[in-house]
Amino acid sequence: MKKIRVLIIEDEAPARELIKYMLRDHPDIEVAGECADGFCGAREIKEKHPDLIFLDIQMPKLTGFELLEVLDEKPEVIFTTAFDQYAIRAFELNAVDYLLKPYSKERFDDALSKAVSRIGKEKGEPAMIEKLVATATEAEGYLTRIVFRKGAGIKIIPLNLISYLAAEDDYVMIYYNEGKALKPKTMKYYEDHLPPSLFMRVHRSYMVNIEHITRLEPYSKDNYVAVLKSGEKIPVSRAGYKMLREKLSF
Amino acid sequence: MKHPVLESRSRLLIWCLAWVVLATGQALIIHFVYGSNTDMAVADGIITMLLYGILGLAAWFPVRYILSSNGQIFSKVTNIVLTGSLAIVLWLFATRFLVRAVVREKEDYDLFWHTVVFFRIAAGVLIFFVIILLYYLFLSATEMAEKASRQAQLEAQVREGELKMLRAQINPHFLFNSLNSMSSLTLTDPMKAREMILKLSDFMRYSLSSRNEQPVTLQNEMESLRLYLEIEKVRFGDRLVIEEEIQPECLPALLPGMLLQPLYENAVKHGVYESTDRVVIRTTANKEDENVVISVTNTIDPESVVTRKGAGIGLKNVRSRLELFYGEKADLAINRKEDSFNVMIKIPFEEKTNQ
Repeated sequence: MKKIRVLIIEDEAPARELIKYMLRDHPDIEVAGECADGFCGAREIKEKHPDLIFLDIQMPKLTGFELLEVLDEKPEVIFTTAFDQYAIRAFELNAVDYLLKPYSKERFDDALSKAVSRIGKEKGEPAMIEKLVATATEAEGYLTRIVFRKGAGIKIIPLNLISYLAAEDDYVMIYYNEGKALKPKTMKYYEDHLPPSLFMRVHRSYMVNIEHITRLEPYSKDNYVAVLKSGEKIPVSRAGYKMLREKLSF
Repeated sequence: MKHPVLESRSRLLIWCLAWVVLATGQALIIHFVYGSNTDMAVADGIITMLLYGILGLAAWFPVRYILSSNGQIFSKVTNIVLTGSLAIVLWLFATRFLVRAVVREKEDYDLFWHTVVFFRIAAGVLIFFVIILLYYLFLSATEMAEKASRQAQLEAQVREGELKMLRAQINPHFLFNSLNSMSSLTLTDPMKAREMILKLSDFMRYSLSSRNEQPVTLQNEMESLRLYLEIEKVRFGDRLVIEEEIQPECLPALLPGMLLQPLYENAVKHGVYESTDRVVIRTTANKEDENVVISVTNTIDPESVVTRKGAGIGLKNVRSRLELFYGEKADLAINRKEDSFNVMIKIPFEEKTNQ
């Protein structure tokens, strides 16, 4: 029988050791690799195609949630996390399994067998992880950065470098200092998850970083454009203009 | 601080009345005892005391500065005497000049002036000391009231925020992750697990006992912080490097317990948690004049996209505790660079007395 291949993505060495130790009793499982951060995790998943990953949430550079966001193929996931009431709530709302540190051998085996039984089967709901990430970020407040894939790598853009967002059919194009990136999300999502102190939906199809606005120019009757630091011009609707006026108090 | 006389209308009224009484008294004495004419007596009385009244109000500013400074008692007295002398000399010349300009019999006035100038100086000195005494009483009363309200505030915070403080002091993430590391070590390296349990116990004991307001020595505080960092080092291994440079004369300095803890928690959170490379946490403590300057620096991965979320709460906590314990005598400065984060705390050096 083909062995089940797992990848451990966890930034603390003792925590990785523990998982490996607990996997010793499972001869049908093979540890395909170990990673101490999310970047390594993304790379190894792409290279080694593990069936299952153990994923810590709090890690340097790229969190467990952000890692899942940029994956094409999603292996089965068992989250490992310390006390985090928000994350726990997020897990409980969804069916993805999680191990609350520290955990018992019984709990570990239980989570493992559940995950193993799902391997190879049709994924019930592909949007589940999405939902999970959304619930978690919702509980933790606004986004502080946006993560996406760029070529073979992963790009993390802090909000202050993002100048504006534009709706493109079912996607959102994010314009930042070095280029643009398409995210499979809706404007509504970003309206809810970006801090309103920084980003404002000035038009049905545009959200703008208000710190990037240099001036507002009339465009036609009742219509304006916002001129950004980069020189780009963003349409501003009448309602958007009113909101900007209030926000920037001019 | 506001001016003790000018801040309330009733006190200003009493102040004016006192000078009216003094002016009247002086005029009467000049007229009946010395025997000069009414014009001169009235002019001298009014101008003398009007000038002194104004000078007395102005004297508050240097006097407050001198009395609330940190100097020795000797230098305070010297400064007060200097201020008083200056004020009295100013007052004598101004009085003489103004009264002489007003009265008709200028020669008579010159003669009168020379006869009584010593009485005048004596009276000036006496009044000056009365004013100093009043200001001194006012200052101590205000200081005492401030101290009491600070104390009350402190107690209120301790009472209401005891749990909140504890939660802020021991991050649950830290606790549960450490327990997980121990759980791992019990299997792979039981001796090390035992060591870590002892360290965590000592650290917990310290942080629980430091909830009361009893100050601790920097030595005790550093011992606890070392425990904390060593526990974190088990989790993070070579990623965490600890450096220390503490002047031995700083070790007995007193400070509120667990004051520095949030700085290290921040350093770990924003340094180690966000970096895949080595992070150095460096502590220095130096005695500068009458203060102890403690500086905690951690390197940051310049490539990490810092999530600012949650940053600042720990520091705010430290700042408000400093304020509660030391008022304006303590200082906290933050220095953020591309590749490092530094917090500097300055507190008055107070040593443990053997009681």
